[in-house]
Order: sequence, then structure tokens, then C-alpha cells
Amino acid sequence: MITQPDHVPERLALLPASAADPFITEQLLKAEQVHGGVDLAKVVVPLPEDDARWDVEPIRSLVEDAMFEFRDDRTRADAWLAPRLHATLRLTRREAADRRLWTHIALAVAPDYVAWRHLPPPTAQNGARRIAPERFQGPADRQCFSRLWWAAELFRNGADYEPVQVACGNQDLIHTVLRRDLIDHRPTAQALVRLVRNGKVTTGREINGLSVAITAAGATLVYDVLAPDEPRDLTPLRDWIAEAQTAPPVSRHVLPEGPDEDPVPEASVDALTDYFLELFETAPVRGTKIDS
Amino acid sequence: MKIYPYKRLGRPIALRVTSVALELADGTREPLDTSAYSTQQQAVALGVAGHDWVSAVIGVSATLPPGADAEDAPWSDLRVLAVLTDGETNIRTSTALTRDTDDSRDWSGSLEIYRDDHLGRASLAAYAVATVDGVAGRSIAETDRSWTVDTVSDEPVAGLQLEVQKASFTKSSREWLRAYADAPWIVDTSARVPTVFVNSDVDGIVGLLDSSASGVESKVRDLLVAQMATDVWTAVFHGAIGDLEVEPGGTPVFPTDWQGEVLREMLPDVVPGVHVEEALRQVHRRRTGDAGWAELQTRIHYAAIRRAEASKALGYAIRSLEQANRESEK
Repeated sequence: MITQPDHVPERLALLPASAADPFITEQLLKAEQVHGGVDLAKVVVPLPEDDARWDVEPIRSLVEDAMFEFRDDRTRADAWLAPRLHATLRLTRREAADRRLWTHIALAVAPDYVAWRHLPPPTAQNGARRIAPERFQGPADRQCFSRLWWAAELFRNGADYEPVQVACGNQDLIHTVLRRDLIDHRPTAQALVRLVRNGKVTTGREINGLSVAITAAGATLVYDVLAPDEPRDLTPLRDWIAEAQTAPPVSRHVLPEGPDEDPVPEASVDALTDYFLELFETAPVRGTKIDS
Repeated sequence: MKIYPYKRLGRPIALRVTSVALELADGTREPLDTSAYSTQQQAVALGVAGHDWVSAVIGVSATLPPGADAEDAPWSDLRVLAVLTDGETNIRTSTALTRDTDDSRDWSGSLEIYRDDHLGRASLAAYAVATVDGVAGRSIAETDRSWTVDTVSDEPVAGLQLEVQKASFTKSSREWLRAYADAPWIVDTSARVPTVFVNSDVDGIVGLLDSSASGVESKVRDLLVAQMATDVWTAVFHGAIGDLEVEPGGTPVFPTDWQGEVLREMLPDVVPGVHVEEALRQVHRRRTGDAGWAELQTRIHYAAIRRAEASKALGYAIRSLEQANRESEK
């Protein structure tokens, strides 16, 4: 298993895809050997100097704590790390959509975490284990760190990260749902979390069946009308990002608080939860037997 | 054609952008003139003020097709929404429009878009929503083509936009370019927007590309640009097909960014005569299956040549060479 590179940068930066490519070697994907860090530092695009958000140390120490705390069950690290990464690295969506930032974190700052979290476990069949390259550099819902950040962004209910913990506690939920645009609608995301929390929908097959049904129904139904949301207001987010300059490290024990945005209207979550439950009960779920 | 299990309006909504104003960082408001949006291209360009804007207010007007207010219409509670979506930043905001006058088919309103919420392009569509057969929230008509709201560009163009960068491949701070020092240009499709790097080490290439001369030189320049464009279209098509997300059932999903735009534009030439969704399935099957990928290359190349308008560029270049030869023989 690899460790962190000899040279870990002090500041986050942007790492373009073509520049990152030579560092994603077969040895790295097999978690056998990592680059030294010095050459990589030469090909990054720097971020502004005067912004405390780009300090590497808070992120580095978070992932180290995660690796220690969840050494026996690494998949559980997602639910712990997602809200804390989100509250540590306070970004606008514009900044978070830049994949070069995530590539830099995965390759320059914490390749050891990527390997720890995503190297497939040894089995009799896979003699040559290999990390999927998309965990270092890839789509937002696959890349090791961006998937956690976006899960936290899309599943939080205003300042409350508790729904994020529920969502990330179910690998199938973030795996299947994050790639679909249905959770861009906040009430839909909260209704899905509620169904999982209540134990109405749990297995991967069920979640998949439900998200297919929601998308299909969404072709004819406009969820914004069924379940209206508050108008978007960026002021709380901007204040929260400004506070990052002086914010202490996030607590390892209690959930942090997100930007002080209005929560999703409860009536909208109620309405959608009922509607989805009805959809789910009538939707065919592949592979289930119908009891006679 | 889609089949709906309820009554709908037979024709699409016509959506127009009627005004655009920017809120700048210093708090002032700057109305943009009509060159910032194009009804023909269905595009809005918010980049005219550079990076200085914080938010934009876009005024829109939607005209419903006839029949929405018919006495015997099978729906009630009619509403019209403008919906802005951005697949890159997972933004979805909707704004209710209001009817201009009691018996009008025109609905208008304005929506606010924040620069911090977008990295590139967002789409803007309109929906007419009503209660049909007792089911609330049914969509009874939509726009058939979304508007593009580009938060970076200063020119309202809907199609794929390339970035062209000139750099010395041997001396660039982009160290990875050094490996390609002997190429006149290369295409990078892994960036957010497909980019052509032109190698300024090649004598005269930058001068030729930037030249505004007429005559043979301009025709040679157009031919060169068409050649680059063919390379770009071919590369972006392969890039987009290679990155496809696949649903659990094996159905490929259209990407939401420029890759989706590329596929929708090229697929009708790659697999003619079928819906783009079916064309995408066929191409994906051929790439991942045992057979048919090599055979498809000719069609991909053909689609790229058409996009790049290579035949036209070549035609003009040959004609101007012929003219030049004739004149030198005189």
C-alpha cells in the first residue's frame, strides 16, 4: 500500500487532465508506488495566495483521521468524511465543478487515501487488484473526493448535514442517484433520504428501481410544481465561505453546520415522499419475486 | 415521437429572451444590449462584462400554442414555468411566469442567475403545467429547443465552442506539451472545453492563422482550419463515446455537458435515419461489443468532415490555386 508522496504541497491548486495523466501510472493504480510530488508541483495551475481555503493541511489531517477511525470498515468513512470535507473546503458550485481541483487533491494531496478507500479488496479471483482511474480523475460522481463533496452539497438540508450522513451511509444511494439530475431538485433529494431513513427503500435494487421510476414519471410531471422549493439565495453561502478564513477545524465528533440556508419546505418533502412511495409500490423492481 | 398517457397541447412553447441585465461586483446594474442574446441562435452570452458580474436578470416571454385556454380543455390550474438547469453544477431553478393579459397566450417574467452557480453553460426551457385527469403537475407543453445561457462567452452562439490556444510546445509552462514538439497542432478533449493547441514553434503557422489577407493565403488558412476542425470533431466524438455513463440496464446516457452537444449533433450523420437515442445505443454497442467499431470509423470521419465544412474549404482552395496558376501563365 502506498503512503503520501514525499512532497505534499502546502496549497491546493488546479491540475489539468492532460498534465495529470502521466502521474496516473499502473503502479499507482495497483497501489504499489506513488510519484514523489516534486514533478507534479511543476505542472499545476496555482490558486490565489490570499485565500485560507486553499490550505492543504486541514484536508490532509481530515483524511488521516478518517483512515485511522475507519481502518476496519472503510466504506463507513464516506458518511463521516462527506459533511466534514464539505464544511472544510467551502466552495461555490462554480468552483466545485472544476474537476482540476479534485484531481489535484487526489493525486498531489492524498493519493494514499484514494488507494485506501478504493483499492478493491483481495479475493481469490482478482490477483491483480487495481484502483479505477476515475477515482483519481473522473466524473464528479465517481472521483474519490468530488463525489463526497457533491453528495454533501446535494443532500444537505440547508445547514443540516444529517441527511448527508444517511445518504452516504447507503452506498447504493450515492452510487445510483448522484449521477442522475433528479436530485438537483432539493425536495426530491430530501424525500429520497427520508425513504431510506424510514427503511422503506434499502437495497441497491430497490433504490435503482425507484430512481428509474422517478425519472420516468418526471418526463411528464414537473416536480417543481408538485413540491415547490424556496427561491435560491446565495447570501448565506457567501457569508459561510467568507467565514472560512477564520473558521476552526471541523469537529471530529459532532456534525459541522453548513451555510445558513432555508431548509427545504417540509410540506414539499411530505408530498414527494408519499408520491415516491406510491410509485415505488407500483413500480416493478427487477429480480424480486411476487408473493402469491 | 413520444406517447403520453394524457391529453397535451400538440405544439411546443415559443420562448424568447427579452432583456438581460448584469449586477456588477460594485453593486451597479448594467443592462446589456441586444447583441448579448440571439433569438436565432437561442443563446445568451453573459461574458461581455468579463469576470466582473455577480448575477444576471434575464427577462423572458413564453407564447403558448393555441388551445391552452380552450373552453373544453381537459385541464385546469394552468401555469407556466421557466426552468434553468446546469448539468455541470447540478443547478435547477424554476420561476413562475405571469400571463401578460387575461386572454393572452403570452406569459412573461424574469429569472435571476448567479455567476457562482455556473462554470460554463446552462439551459433554459419553459413548461406549461396543469392538472390533467385529477393529476397535478402534468407537463402539457414544453419548448422543443432550450436556450443556451453561456456564463463565459461574449458572443451568443449555441453550437459547440472550441478554445484555440497558441503556445510554443517546447517552451510552454504546460510541460506535457513538450512530448508533442514536432506536431503543428494537437487536440485536447480532456479539458472542460475541447481545446486546440497550435504549436507556435512551427514557422509561420501563427501568422497564417491570424492573417486577414485575401487571395490564396486566406484559402490556405481556411483549409488548415478545416483540417484542424476535422481533427477536433473526430477527437471529441471519440472522447464523448469513451466517457459514456451506462445505466444498470446497459442503456448509455447522454452526457449533460458539451459532450452531449457533440453527440447530438454528429450522431445523425454517424447512424442516419434513427432517433439520436437509438443511434447512441447502436454506437455504444458497436464500441463495447465484438464487431462493427472499425466499420463505423468511416461514418465518424464523414460526420467530422461535414461539421468542419472541409469540402467547401478544399473547393475554394483549389479554385484559387487554379486562378493563381492561370494568372502566372498569362
